[in-house]
Amino acid sequence: MASKPLFKFLLRRFIFLLVTYIVATTIVFILPRAIPGNPLAQLLSNLSRLAQANPEAIRAAERTLMAEFGIDKPLLVQYVTFVFKALRGDLGTSISFYPRKVIDLVVPVIPWTLVLLLPATLVAWILGNTLGAMAAYRRNTWIDKGVLTTSLIVSQIPYYWLGMIFIFFFGVRLGWLPTQGAYSLGTIPNLSWGFFLDALKHYVMPFASIVISAMGGWAIGMRVMVVYELGSDYSLFSEYLGMKDKRIFKYAFRNSLLPQITGLALSLGGILGGALITEIVFNYPGTGFLLFKALTTLDYPMIQGIFVILIASIYLANFIVDFLYALIDPRIRLGQEE
Amino acid sequence: MNEVLMRIENAKAYYKLEKVSVRAVDGVSFEIFEDEVIGVVGESGCGKTTLSNLISMNILKPLTLVEGKVFMKIDGKFEEISSMSREEVKKKLWGKEITIVPQSAMNALMPTIRMAKYVEHLAQSHELNGKELLQKAEKRFEEVGLNPLWLKRYPFELSGGMRQRAVIAIATILNPKLLIADEPTSALDVVNQKVFLKVLMQLKRMGVVRSIIFITHDIATVRQIADRIIVMYAGKIVEISTMEKILQRPLHPYTKGLFNSVLTPEPEVRRRGISVIPGTPPNLINPPSGCRFHPRCPHVMEVCKEREPELREVEEGSKVACFLYSEERT
Amino acid sequence: MFATMIRPLFKNKKFIVGISIFLFFLMLGILGPVLYRVSPTKMTWDYEQPPSAKYPLGTDTYGRDVLAQLLHGIRSSLYIGFLAAIISLSIGTVVGSLAAVKRGIVDDTLMAITNIVLTTPSILIAILIASYLRIRSMEVVAVILGLFQWPWFARAIRAQLMSVMSREYVYLSIMAGYSDMRLVIEDLLPTIATYAFMSFVLFINGGIMGEAGLSLIGLGPTRGISLGLMLQWAVLMEAVRRGLWWWFVPPGVAIVALTASLMVISTTMDEVFNPRLREE
Repeated sequence: MASKPLFKFLLRRFIFLLVTYIVATTIVFILPRAIPGNPLAQLLSNLSRLAQANPEAIRAAERTLMAEFGIDKPLLVQYVTFVFKALRGDLGTSISFYPRKVIDLVVPVIPWTLVLLLPATLVAWILGNTLGAMAAYRRNTWIDKGVLTTSLIVSQIPYYWLGMIFIFFFGVRLGWLPTQGAYSLGTIPNLSWGFFLDALKHYVMPFASIVISAMGGWAIGMRVMVVYELGSDYSLFSEYLGMKDKRIFKYAFRNSLLPQITGLALSLGGILGGALITEIVFNYPGTGFLLFKALTTLDYPMIQGIFVILIASIYLANFIVDFLYALIDPRIRLGQEE
Repeated sequence: MNEVLMRIENAKAYYKLEKVSVRAVDGVSFEIFEDEVIGVVGESGCGKTTLSNLISMNILKPLTLVEGKVFMKIDGKFEEISSMSREEVKKKLWGKEITIVPQSAMNALMPTIRMAKYVEHLAQSHELNGKELLQKAEKRFEEVGLNPLWLKRYPFELSGGMRQRAVIAIATILNPKLLIADEPTSALDVVNQKVFLKVLMQLKRMGVVRSIIFITHDIATVRQIADRIIVMYAGKIVEISTMEKILQRPLHPYTKGLFNSVLTPEPEVRRRGISVIPGTPPNLINPPSGCRFHPRCPHVMEVCKEREPELREVEEGSKVACFLYSEERT
Repeated sequence: MFATMIRPLFKNKKFIVGISIFLFFLMLGILGPVLYRVSPTKMTWDYEQPPSAKYPLGTDTYGRDVLAQLLHGIRSSLYIGFLAAIISLSIGTVVGSLAAVKRGIVDDTLMAITNIVLTTPSILIAILIASYLRIRSMEVVAVILGLFQWPWFARAIRAQLMSVMSREYVYLSIMAGYSDMRLVIEDLLPTIATYAFMSFVLFINGGIMGEAGLSLIGLGPTRGISLGLMLQWAVLMEAVRRGLWWWFVPPGVAIVALTASLMVISTTMDEVFNPRLREE
């Protein structure tokens, strides 16, 4: 019946995210062209010097790139071409993997990143919030203090460094788990049990390092929120009415979850950044690893393409989180008067 | 005279801080009768809110009941509620015997669930039948002038005044005998204040609640509804009188000052003109010796500085703690 | 007045622990390279040596002294952190107070920009900018990081200033016809001083973390030594999988100690100055 405010809210968020996305991709487009010395033009003129092995191919690459980037054309024309091509899924041709298309290189690695990132983020969020709520429920006991102190320290450990420690300890010293990749070298990804177990073994450490170091921040945030809610007017009123402590705590928990969901949306970018570096440390064949390769070979079309996709996926995830938030919070679903 | 509902005997409730104690309620005794509305007045920092915490047994550290006892009639028998643990207080008193209308009723309802759901949860907490309580809530909503269908809404869908009434309806849903309201009208505009008072009195008339304690610094409001007035100063009761008596002839110099400091429509009050009491209430860590009001009192005598006046009945229905009304004045 | 504000902080055990750890590392960064006079870049034939009397923290693949690298690295990381923090704080203060004082269309525009930057995955854009710069000094890295940290601070400053501005003494200054500049400096900034300081501490934290992240993907400073660069070399040379723990553990420990101590300082300040959280 009252889905109009919900629709309005989502529409507003969608437009905002769309505008932000356009701004972000424009930055992606303008940056290489605006930075003094124009690295793109430099790259193109240096291309022939980069590799002498196959002058034919280099010349072909140069022609393709010249055509794709159209550096000789006015900036606006370049921009419009860039946008239209991107909309059709054409993100240009890779330099280091010439003549393969960027999109064909990026798409196969995306699932690996998703498989690592999504569960790790969600598990960290759920565990962290549970832990934080527990600490708030038993506030000022040793459980609370323990959770707070460890969370504070653990939340400051970079994902990738924790990953390094894991590799060294569990992989090198104890030899329990494989130290790199998403599956054993020489195997081809397939749907057998053997492959699944192999992949799982490779999965444990990168997964755990992201979960553990991301958890602390959520726990601290949740504890602060719940304690705040427990001191709020509705908690006191419920107490005066003889409502059971457990129920009041449930209320506080429920109302604290809402800002934590927004927090999840806002921190997605940071989480992704951290996870990309974790992939590098683990030689895990995901987007981060590909980006790293592109960065070290100065493969600008690939860098650009990866960014267009990454930023889009972050905004998509943002929108999904907004949608969930709106479903859970009646104040948005029904529209608050104030 | 009506029967006694609650009796407070020489209660001392202090905020125990690291090194010092704030003596917010310091030796207070009085009774609350059935079917009466008591107004508690005084400047801020006189211990009014602590008194309401004491009556409702909402005693959380650093607040400590240092001395004295509080009795309440529960199922026809007097029980010492001051010896109950917080768990017992929550289980036996709050919601059932005593209810507290909070200062900021605007945000008092759990914002993200429907009010009907809240009532159901309340029933679960008190081990009552959810459906029956919900029916009762519907009836109560009607009684305070709200559409019972609105129970199915979220609190934010109601306007400020409506929300206030919804809070009262839910606060009185278990027919508590005593309702305590601490500055409930301070956040409301004049129209909603009027409605609020009307609803409160209506609930009392219908016998939903027996007695009401109304704590406020707003004398203009309290004189519209109170039967008796308790005047507090620096943690002590300086005067207890019926409303009429206090309006006709306030006894304690502080009461006089307090009532004179507000503009009231009563001609006999207005005739005396507006005066303000110079100075501010003392700090309650080291209150003044003797009568605590003596540094500000226009009629101060030697005895006031040395000895504490007792609260005693000087006329029928009027108790005052002041040497002006005792034989010891010389 | 400053002393009375600071005193309660030093009664807080957590704060003392946090500030001690931070000052210790700050001293390591400032005095370390002066006292431990070993070149962090000099290559020797004693490569990949575990810690010994000669090399307290061992050497890396090129025979460079890890302790010397660590001391110089702490210094650079702190430098980048401070610089990034100053940049973020300045942008945030200017944007936040302009929005609060000017209101209207200025406010709307500034807040729209702020929200866009807030939602932009800042690390990704930082990576992107860094990738196009062939030469990156420490200062450039600090600027890149500083450019993206400020939005939440600007929003908080704006909100706080708006609530302060509704108070009487500010109103009087406006009535008296003081310039916006004078208004901000005399009446408003003092009220946000503690909050700004707390945020400054968190910005340093973000700068240190950001440098490490950028360095690891090969986009750190192109000259000098930082904690992030140490980690990057260790990763490139497969120090982890080859068990050369003395190479990659110390820089990580330094990062965690620095950022965690800054975090403790900031949260305890919040507890002391913001009684709502000090809780019952």
